[in-house]
Amino acid sequence: MTEKLLDISELRTYFFTEAGVVRAVDGISVDVDAGETIGLVGESGSGKSVTAQSALRIVPKPGRIVAGSIKFEGEDLLAKSEDEMRKLRGPKMAVVFQDPTTSLNPVYTVEKQLTDILMLHRDLAKAEASQRALYLLELVGISEPEKRLKAYPHELSGGMKQRVAIARALSCEPTLLFADEPTTNLDVTIQAQVLELLKKLQKDLKMTMVMITHDMGIIADMTRRVTVLYAGKVMEVADTAAIFNAPMHPYTEALLKAVPSVKQTRVLEVIPGNIPNLIEPPTGCVFHPRCKYAKDICVKEEPRLEKAEEGHQVACHLWRELKLEAKAS
Amino acid sequence: MIALLGPFVSPYPARSYQPLYEGAAGQSPSWKHPFGVEDSGIDVFSEVINGTKNDLYVGLVASLLTTIIGIALGAVGGYFRGLISDLILGITQVFFVIPVLLLILLFARVFEILVFKGLGLTLIVLILAFFGWSSVAFIVRGETLRVREMEFVQAARSLGAGSSRILFRHIVPNILSPLIVITTLNIAGFILTEVVVSFLGFGDPNTTTWGLLLNEGFALIRTEWWVSLFPGLAVVFCVLGFNLMGDGLSDALNPRLRE
Repeated sequence: MTEKLLDISELRTYFFTEAGVVRAVDGISVDVDAGETIGLVGESGSGKSVTAQSALRIVPKPGRIVAGSIKFEGEDLLAKSEDEMRKLRGPKMAVVFQDPTTSLNPVYTVEKQLTDILMLHRDLAKAEASQRALYLLELVGISEPEKRLKAYPHELSGGMKQRVAIARALSCEPTLLFADEPTTNLDVTIQAQVLELLKKLQKDLKMTMVMITHDMGIIADMTRRVTVLYAGKVMEVADTAAIFNAPMHPYTEALLKAVPSVKQTRVLEVIPGNIPNLIEPPTGCVFHPRCKYAKDICVKEEPRLEKAEEGHQVACHLWRELKLEAKAS
Repeated sequence: MIALLGPFVSPYPARSYQPLYEGAAGQSPSWKHPFGVEDSGIDVFSEVINGTKNDLYVGLVASLLTTIIGIALGAVGGYFRGLISDLILGITQVFFVIPVLLLILLFARVFEILVFKGLGLTLIVLILAFFGWSSVAFIVRGETLRVREMEFVQAARSLGAGSSRILFRHIVPNILSPLIVITTLNIAGFILTEVVVSFLGFGDPNTTTWGLLLNEGFALIRTEWWVSLFPGLAVVFCVLGFNLMGDGLSDALNPRLRE
């Protein structure tokens, strides 16, 4: 086995709001091997983004990591000081955010956004930083990079902005890149281009990538292993192929059935209900109110993440009995 | 239209009065006097120009000081959460409800009794700044609260920027437009306050300001109307100019509207 680059275990990140404690991440464990791309998948509010934020220790207040451990390159991130963390963000870990229209600072030119980080982390002189900014824009496939350097974010198209955001995230060559729904706000053709770009960059730069998305298509396309999250808990962990061919958790099955397909003519199934209130999560299995297979035990007892097969873990009382439909593809 | 003209109209009091002032200073008072002469033989024209300098000094310096205090307290109070933030908000609210004008008059009275002298300009500036920053702080606080939730702030954080860097390089530049507007509006407001203070006779009688001229002219308003009219017009144009300038600047500095 290769060394684990990032090892998050039993992470609990709660938000202490006035309405109560929101258990956004409630005992999530994820590990990432160096060089691989893994997926974190789940609906909105399942804790995907907060997991990434926790790894960088940038959880916005009133959120706080209350328990668990996060190890990166063998070092305990939760024991590090804020100063030490700051030196890791950028050169070691970086994030590509969901919405490029808001993740770039509107008052600065593209050049300034890129050189700023380089001057901060690499102590480059301004001219060198500009050189590298130009190179980065070429790297992410922006045409006429000299011209774009001087542009303000609002002068660029959505796809272009996301490329700039990717260039910014890559500026200090991070070992680990979190892509937090990087294509959600882009239209379909641009989506494909950006995904292709991320894939290529990941290979060329030998980066490790954590792909955060709710789109099973992206998961199939980009990742080798997947962790399915629901309501701040891990539902299922498996190789991507296994998730698609032999899902073991009813939630995974439901997610797969909600994906439209060109070949199929079946009616798209919707997952009934909404993600539960995380201040008072349901008793037992968090998914039971929406699960069509739910039995008495699901209401009473919380399932543990069990090892079903080699490399395949599932948190469901019924996984042995259920014969779940794989996605017919 | 008016907003576009603003930047061209408003520098007028600041720029074109000044060279005239230098020219007029050499002239003997009451030789050529386009604005008439006071009873005492003081040339109103040169006094109005003289007053421009002092009134602008009050307006600009007081506004600059309030903006600095306002940014510091507003940004810190808006960015961080918890006790400090609540405390700053509380202090800001207290200062917001203090009637600055009354306070200045009170100070002036006390001052007069203590040192037998009206309030000097610098003192007025300091009092204005010390009690006038709350509106700036409120705006900065509100804007900071809005901007800090935006994704680029988190992006900056995820790339290793520290709190002060985020606050002053990412948040403050993004709230410049409302800040500039309130600053220029404050200039006008402070000039008005100063005019009121000296008009009521609480200023320093040895420092020419428009308010002082108005005060002097008020007694003569039936016979020598020009003594009140021209300083009054100067006040109106100056305040109007700064208001227009605030508008113009906020348009000019908005990166979204640039080009």
